[in-house]
Amino acid sequence: MNKKVQNYFVLIVMLLCWAVFLFAVAEMPLMGDPGNITNTHVVPRYLEKGVEEGGAPNIVTGIILNYRGYDTSGEVTVIFTALIGVLAVLKRENIKKDKSLVEISPVKTSVIVTTVVKFLTPLIILFAIYMILHGDVSPGGGFQGGAITGGSIIAFTLTFGLLATMRKFRLSIRIPLESSAVLAFIASGLVAMFFGLPFLTFLIPGFGFHTQELIRHALFIIIEIGIGVATGIIFASIFAAMGKVSKE
Amino acid sequence: MTFLSKLGTNFNYVISTLLFVIGLYTIITKPNLIKKFMGLNIMETSVFLAIVSIGAVRDGKAPIVESATKVQYVNPLPQALILTGIVVAVSTTALALSLMIKLYEQCGTLNADKLKEFE
Repeated sequence: MNKKVQNYFVLIVMLLCWAVFLFAVAEMPLMGDPGNITNTHVVPRYLEKGVEEGGAPNIVTGIILNYRGYDTSGEVTVIFTALIGVLAVLKRENIKKDKSLVEISPVKTSVIVTTVVKFLTPLIILFAIYMILHGDVSPGGGFQGGAITGGSIIAFTLTFGLLATMRKFRLSIRIPLESSAVLAFIASGLVAMFFGLPFLTFLIPGFGFHTQELIRHALFIIIEIGIGVATGIIFASIFAAMGKVSKE
Repeated sequence: MTFLSKLGTNFNYVISTLLFVIGLYTIITKPNLIKKFMGLNIMETSVFLAIVSIGAVRDGKAPIVESATKVQYVNPLPQALILTGIVVAVSTTALALSLMIKLYEQCGTLNADKLKEFE
């Protein structure tokens, strides 16, 4: 059986699969119905008491950092582990020995691209900082802001080359910042343990109501900044490790 | 309700399953490893779409509580779960791509059929 016939056969099987899926979709609860079972089980509690218990007007941030804090600390560890894996396979870039494809490419980057990237990069990073710091009162948060930072650093690398970018983000700066998310999470979690409470409790008793809220808010901001910085720098490091070409 | 009108209401799931099938087709038929991984990413995206759609509420507001008045909010739980999922997807993509770079340096090809000859 040659390749083309094989592919048609796969296509037919896939379409049959889709047909089966469609019958399942028609049996699913209707989308957008407030009375769906997914909307009536745990969620009303989150929406009613989320601000009070979760500690942030943005319920998603409250869920991520407070109700499901263990989940997020695991997630932060996952990106850190991914970075370790990438570096174990590819090694870190060496500014003296490596170059990126941008630098050895015979085509020069056009003036329009360099001007636009030079103009936009600081603005994008400013927006990312806004997003990280306002994660608990508006859409956004550490991961989103970090991804935007990482994207702007990658855009900078693609136009000016690995050398110019990595001179600005030196290894001595990047290595401690990469682990900042995990460290910020563990440090904020450990604060409660000094008061005899379980790990990752943000509401510490023994203070006045307003001080309590203030401490919780400060811990949230520390975690958000940690996650944002670490995500951005990890993306930049992964990209630098992938984009390098050793100078022969 | 007829079959078609139900599909019309559950439009997001229809698209999500279509994306899932497209991703599976790409994984099975394309010999190039990078294309296979693109297929896997399409499948991941389809799952994200399905799970976020589960939390949709008609005329619901974004789950940011500004005042104490009772407003119909969108379900925040799937959004939080998918935020986790997206980060994990990025991590797996980065790791897989770096493995592919190493594989290409060693074998000079990313074609799955030709890679069988290397032992």
